[in-house]
Amino acid sequence: MSAGQYPTRRDPRRVIMGLAVIVTVTVAAYTVWVWPRGPANKLIVYTYDSFMAWGDDPLTIDSRVFGPFMQQYDVEIEIVRLQTDANGVIARLITELERPVADVVIGIDNVLILQEPSQSVLEPYTPSNINLVNDSLIASLDPEHYVTPFDFGLVSLIYSMAKINATTHPEVANLTFSNLGTTEMASSLVTEDPHLSSTGLAFLLTEIAVYEKLLGQDWRQWWSQVHGYVDVLPGWTDAWQVWSTEATKWFLVSYGTDPAYSYYSTNSTPDAAVAPVYNAGSHYAWMQVEGIGLVKNGPNPTLAKAFIDYCLTSSVQSYVALNQWMFPVNNEVTLPTAYSYALQAEDVNILNALLPRSEIAANLTLWLDEWDIIFSS
Amino acid sequence: MNRHSLMGHLALASPLVLLMCFLVYPVADVLGQGLFSGTGTSFYDVVVSPVTQRTFTFTVIQAALSTALAVLLGLPGAFLIVRLRFRGKSVIRAAMIIPFVLPPIVVVVGFLQMFGAFGILDSLMMAITGSPVSVINLAAGLPGIVLAHAFYNIPLVVLMVSASLERLNPEVEESAELLGASHFQNLRRIVLPHIIPSLLASAVLTYLFCFTSFPIVLALGQGSYMTLEARIWYAFRYFDYGEASSLALIQILVTLSLAYSYVRLGRMRQQGIAPTSSAKQVGLRDLNRVQVVLILAYLALLAFLVAGPIAAVVRSSIYDPLTRSYSLAGFENLLSAGTGGGLVPLVNSAFYATMSTLFAVALGIPLAFAHRGSKNPAASLASIMALLPLGVSAITLAYGLMRAIVVPLGLSSNPWPVIIVAQTIIGLPFSARSIEIALRSIDPALLDQADLLGASRLQKLFFVELPLLAPGILVGAAFAFAMAIGEMSATLFIALPQNVTLAVAIYQNLGVRKFVEAGAGALVLVVTCLVAFLTIDRMTSGSSGGTL
Repeated sequence: MSAGQYPTRRDPRRVIMGLAVIVTVTVAAYTVWVWPRGPANKLIVYTYDSFMAWGDDPLTIDSRVFGPFMQQYDVEIEIVRLQTDANGVIARLITELERPVADVVIGIDNVLILQEPSQSVLEPYTPSNINLVNDSLIASLDPEHYVTPFDFGLVSLIYSMAKINATTHPEVANLTFSNLGTTEMASSLVTEDPHLSSTGLAFLLTEIAVYEKLLGQDWRQWWSQVHGYVDVLPGWTDAWQVWSTEATKWFLVSYGTDPAYSYYSTNSTPDAAVAPVYNAGSHYAWMQVEGIGLVKNGPNPTLAKAFIDYCLTSSVQSYVALNQWMFPVNNEVTLPTAYSYALQAEDVNILNALLPRSEIAANLTLWLDEWDIIFSS
Repeated sequence: MNRHSLMGHLALASPLVLLMCFLVYPVADVLGQGLFSGTGTSFYDVVVSPVTQRTFTFTVIQAALSTALAVLLGLPGAFLIVRLRFRGKSVIRAAMIIPFVLPPIVVVVGFLQMFGAFGILDSLMMAITGSPVSVINLAAGLPGIVLAHAFYNIPLVVLMVSASLERLNPEVEESAELLGASHFQNLRRIVLPHIIPSLLASAVLTYLFCFTSFPIVLALGQGSYMTLEARIWYAFRYFDYGEASSLALIQILVTLSLAYSYVRLGRMRQQGIAPTSSAKQVGLRDLNRVQVVLILAYLALLAFLVAGPIAAVVRSSIYDPLTRSYSLAGFENLLSAGTGGGLVPLVNSAFYATMSTLFAVALGIPLAFAHRGSKNPAASLASIMALLPLGVSAITLAYGLMRAIVVPLGLSSNPWPVIIVAQTIIGLPFSARSIEIALRSIDPALLDQADLLGASRLQKLFFVELPLLAPGILVGAAFAFAMAIGEMSATLFIALPQNVTLAVAIYQNLGVRKFVEAGAGALVLVVTCLVAFLTIDRMTSGSSGGTL
């Protein structure tokens, strides 16, 4: 500036050209790098992000579980874990309705399948080996066979034994909604938003079933009571984060297999315990059944059907318990020892029986709207 | 001459054409289908619903409070950055951008650890008052949401206002002082009018940013607080396209009217531009004790609000809460190339964000010029279009891009170009706005001189305008980069596993309780942005130094 020296000027056109060349080369390199590889006729399976992600070695799980099928049919299988949950998977399938890419979808649960858009992207299919699956699971999930059960789990409250236990709070052994309604207990509860999380929705349905069907009371009254105290987070991940980091949060709406996971991953007595909802002498839990279905107008329907059949065999089902932390639907599979810490279906009454599919389908939007009204007041 | 003006018009029109193709058309496609195909709730039912009305009121109020707080806390920072001479200023300036790149989930965790019950602040208060129970919880409800939004947006105010303050000619102030103007008069008559456009621009951007915020609101709102964006998300999840489209339309209308009044206000304020120059600076030693104390108090407050959550991120990259031990496993993961490794997301993030920053700047420059152009409708259109991406919900945009671009073009199994498109669109308001502000402070006399000396249009652009725009471009590019690299909503929806970005990977790692991997990813995000920002800073300060 002060010296009055002018810097040498480059020709702007050369600068633009140089920049254009660098950008082109980078883009070309990246294009080559991410270009889809492998044979053109792959079998594509859409599922949610955490599918089989909870095992010892999630990186090789796909080849271990689906390798035998690939060899037998000489086809490559690509498990596409979309960065979303099952609702998001359906949303993607809807956008691709005119040009489907996927052949099979895994993870549609017994509430999601009740919604018309889910059925609109699927083709009903009854596997030849459907007898491997318990009839009650089929009845809970989808008698019309848009989806076939793949795994199931019990949604329940769990609590951190480091923060609370049966000595400090004897009521945890037989926890009722009215126990949870006190300011102290409600403030210590973390749950998930029923709009955004299937566990949160399962908990809402649990509460509705208990109040409307067992107690014969208005379900909205408990939520009005705990509103302002209970912590509602967008998803299970966020909820788990808050529950595990904050000392004041004792209870979490989660799965009955959490203590088993805790035992298995730390190799010591679980630090979490389940507290299934209690009413008049019995414990209750909501059952979530996740299904596998055939994508409507998918590229390889024959292969896709064979794949669905294969998923019900023990070659796949024996991996479910320790990788999904859900129960396998194939009743011939023996459960690992860690599952002795899990809440079993035999230990509780299944609430799904109290809320028929048709009733949920007809009322779901209404219930969510009413929940919103309580929570936005 | 004719050929030149044609080229000029083409250059000015190109961003509008691209926005039409990649923003207006896809979004209109979704809205049209949602509003007129009769699926889901009707527009009327949505508008009269008490839930919508409550949500709308809350959305408006929280955005206003958040903007007020961000401006209040950001304004002193802008002055300090420009006027105070101190070591490591460029690093501090670069560090200011960090909050913008953090994925919301990381901000939420940092906030809980800092301001939540039994967090650092609460523990301090408990120790002071001797209380055994939690005294203060600022990470929940409305205070939590407003604080978190301020945390996100203070940097925006600081950087945009300071970029414009740097262009205030010190001679004007000195003349005023010579003529006997007091500090206050000086501030009111000279400084304030000069920074008003940038202040207004950053306030509008902040407001829109908070207006369409939703992961933070959901996470800290405990289910009781919702924004329109959150309800749009809900509606999409339950396939109620009628409701989603109705709410998205309301959001767009609010954005448009805000953008319009911003443009009108901007026109009214347009005034004589001071000759281009750099600001005068003072050292800490030149100030009196009261001023020093005030500055230190302000810095302490800012450090607590901004640095606290960042410190939590740094710690989380090496501390595993599950095993209660320190480990470097997170960083090892970032270098592993296979599936589940962090290398692919790292490369993806760097590539997408760099490309979209280039595009956002390349499109932002003509948009800014078009806005300045004249008082014709095209100028207003350019300005409004530049703000529109902020008001279009990210999920609606992603859904529209999937339906209208990805699937018809057969990009479903390789959708990365559309991710770059989405990230460009999301960064564009920031780049266009800060370049436009910078453009306003260019002294037209300089351009006339260049013309007289026989410079071609391209030479004028390259050797006069761009170097003078450098601070604006720097800030714009930094924010576009930050928006792109931290973007989650649209990327989540469009991306296949091979397109995962670092922000998405962090979220997933938290989901499967890989805490150090998530922490390391967040730290790399922070460091990448810091380095990128410092590099741009170095480059542009070199070029402007050579020209001025």
